[in-house]
Amino acid sequence: MIEKKIIEIAFHGRGGQTAITASQLLAEMAYESGFKDAIAIPIIGAERRGAPIQAFSKISRDTQIRSYSSVTDPDFILIFDTTLLMIPRVFATIKEGVILIINSNLKIYFNNNLPKNVKIYMVDATGISLKHELAIEGFPILNIPMLGAFAKVSGFYGLDIMEKVIKKKFGSRAEKNMKTARDAFEMVKEMI
Amino acid sequence: MSQKEQEIKFISGNVAAAYAARSAKVQVISAYPITPQTVVVEKLSEFVDSGDMPAQYIKVESEHSVMASLIGASIAGTRTFSATAGQGLLYMSEMVHWAAGTRLPIVMTIASRGIAPPWNIWADFTDVISQRDAGWLTAFASSHQEIYDGVLMAYKICENEEVLLPMFVAYGGFVLSHTFKPVIIEPDDKLEKFLPPLPDEKGWPHIFIDPERPMMHGNLIMPSGFYYEFRMKIHDEMMKSMHIIKQTALEFEKIFGRSYGNGLIQEYKMDDAEVALINIGGLALQAEQAVDELRQEGYKVGSVKLRHFRPFPTEEIINIAKKVDVIGVVDRDTAFGSPTGGAVSSECKSALHGTGIDTIILPIITGIGGREVSVEQQKEEFKKLIKLKETGELPKDMIHGTLWDGILEVK
Repeated sequence: MIEKKIIEIAFHGRGGQTAITASQLLAEMAYESGFKDAIAIPIIGAERRGAPIQAFSKISRDTQIRSYSSVTDPDFILIFDTTLLMIPRVFATIKEGVILIINSNLKIYFNNNLPKNVKIYMVDATGISLKHELAIEGFPILNIPMLGAFAKVSGFYGLDIMEKVIKKKFGSRAEKNMKTARDAFEMVKEMI
Repeated sequence: MSQKEQEIKFISGNVAAAYAARSAKVQVISAYPITPQTVVVEKLSEFVDSGDMPAQYIKVESEHSVMASLIGASIAGTRTFSATAGQGLLYMSEMVHWAAGTRLPIVMTIASRGIAPPWNIWADFTDVISQRDAGWLTAFASSHQEIYDGVLMAYKICENEEVLLPMFVAYGGFVLSHTFKPVIIEPDDKLEKFLPPLPDEKGWPHIFIDPERPMMHGNLIMPSGFYYEFRMKIHDEMMKSMHIIKQTALEFEKIFGRSYGNGLIQEYKMDDAEVALINIGGLALQAEQAVDELRQEGYKVGSVKLRHFRPFPTEEIINIAKKVDVIGVVDRDTAFGSPTGGAVSSECKSALHGTGIDTIILPIITGIGGREVSVEQQKEEFKKLIKLKETGELPKDMIHGTLWDGILEVK
C-alpha cells in the first residue's frame, strides 16, 4: 500500500489519553513483527492533563532509521480527540494521501476541506475503553484500542504481536487491554 | 541480575544508560533526579529494589552530594555511577573537579539540556562542555546503542591504571533520552570478557580507605609542594588516554561486533569526500542520512562523528583536514566570546594551527536549546560547504564568522 522506505505515523492526543505510550507501543509492535528498525519520538514540553500532545513513530522494513526529527509529512495520523481537529496546526498536517484514524462514535463533516485521497477510519476507542473499564481515575485509556484499529487498517502487525507486546508491558492488566484491542480491530470502519 | 542471553529491548536512551550501568556491574549509585535524566536513576532504583542489581543506591539531597558520595564510594574501591543534566551538573561542578583531582574512575551519563535562564530542558551540550576543564574524559553518544556501549567502554578506559580519571558519556536530552529504539543488551559471558574485573578490597592502585590504616587525602598543599605536578599529570594522562580509548574501541568491536571508528572519531563515507561535516551526538548519526541522500544526488560529501571532546583528537582532525578542502564543524553548544562561539569549532581551528594545511573550517552553531534540526537542514549545511569550496563564497548572514543555522531573525 505504501511505497516509502520509512513509514511515518503521527499521534495527536490530549495529556492523559496515552498518545505518547501509543507511539512507543506501535514502534515496538512493528519491530516485533519484523520491521528492521523503529523509533518512537514524543514531543515533550510542560504538558498537563488535557493539553494537546504530539508524538510520532517511524518504522522501516529494510533500512536503518537515523533521523531523530519530528514528522511533518505523516502517512498515518491517529486522532485521539476530535476537538484537536479544530486546531489549525493539527488540521494542516492532513495532506494528500494520508490515512486518518479518528477516535469518534459520530460521523465527522469536513465540508470538503480535506485534500485529495484522504482516507478516514473511525473507531469508538473511548466507548471500547469504558466498556472494558480500562480507565485511570475515570479517564479512559485509549492507546490499545487505537493501536488495535491501526493494526486492522495498516495490516503491519496482527493481534498476536499486540498480545505479545502488551503482555510484556502490562502484565496482569494485559487481558483487559487485549479485549479493547480485539474490539477495536473488529469495529474500526472506513467513513464514507 | 544475570543476563544469560543477548536480548534486544525496545527502550529509551535513558533506560539504555541504566541497563549499561547494570551490565557494567556498578556497585554504588548515588542519585538526585533532574529532567531529562531522571528515568536513568528511576530505572536503576527499580533494578536495585527488585534485587536485579546488587548495588548500593544512595538517595541524597542534591547533585553536589551525589558526586561527594560517589567520591567517597570510589575512594573505598568500588565501581560507581550516576547521571545528571543541565543545572544539576552545574550545581555538582565543585565535586566534579574534585573527582578528577582525586583520579577516580567514576562514570556519569549526561542527558544534556540547555542552561537556564530562560528555563530549558532540551538538547544542548553547553552543560557538559561547561565542565571542559575539570579533568573528565568526555564522550558523546549518537544513538541509543552507543549510550549503552559508550558506558561499557567508559569503565574499561577510566579504570585503566594508565588513566584513572572520571568520564562523562553525554547524549542529547529528549532527542535520545526520551525517544525509543531497539537496543542490544549483552550477556554476562561476553561482558566478562570485555570489562575489567571489579576492584578488590585494596581498591584503586593510588588511593584506598582502610579503617586499619587511616590516611588524609586532598588536603592543603603549599605552592612549593606537588600541586603543580599533580595538574601536569592529569593533562599528561588525559593525553595518553587517547591510545587506551583506541585500544578499547578495537577490543569492543572484536567482542561485540559493533564499530565506533577508532574510538575518538568515526568517519562516514570520507574516502572520496570533497567536503566534510563534523558533529557531536545524535546529529552525527542524522548527518549520515544527509550524506546518503546527497550522494544519490551526486554530491561527494562525508560525515565525521566526534566521539571524544576530551581528550581532543587533534591528530584525527588534522587527518580529516588533509582529505578535504572544507570542513563544517557543528556545535550544539555555545562558548560565548570564544573565537567561533562554539567549543568544538574553536578546538578544530586550533588543531590546524601551524600545520600548514589550508583547509577552510566553517563554524556552525545549531539546535541550541533543543531547536529541531532536520535532515533537510543538514543537507543545506553540506550544500553551503560545497558552495564555499567551489566559489569561495561564505554563507550569508554569518555572525562573527560563524553560521548560526536555524536561528530566527533577532531585532
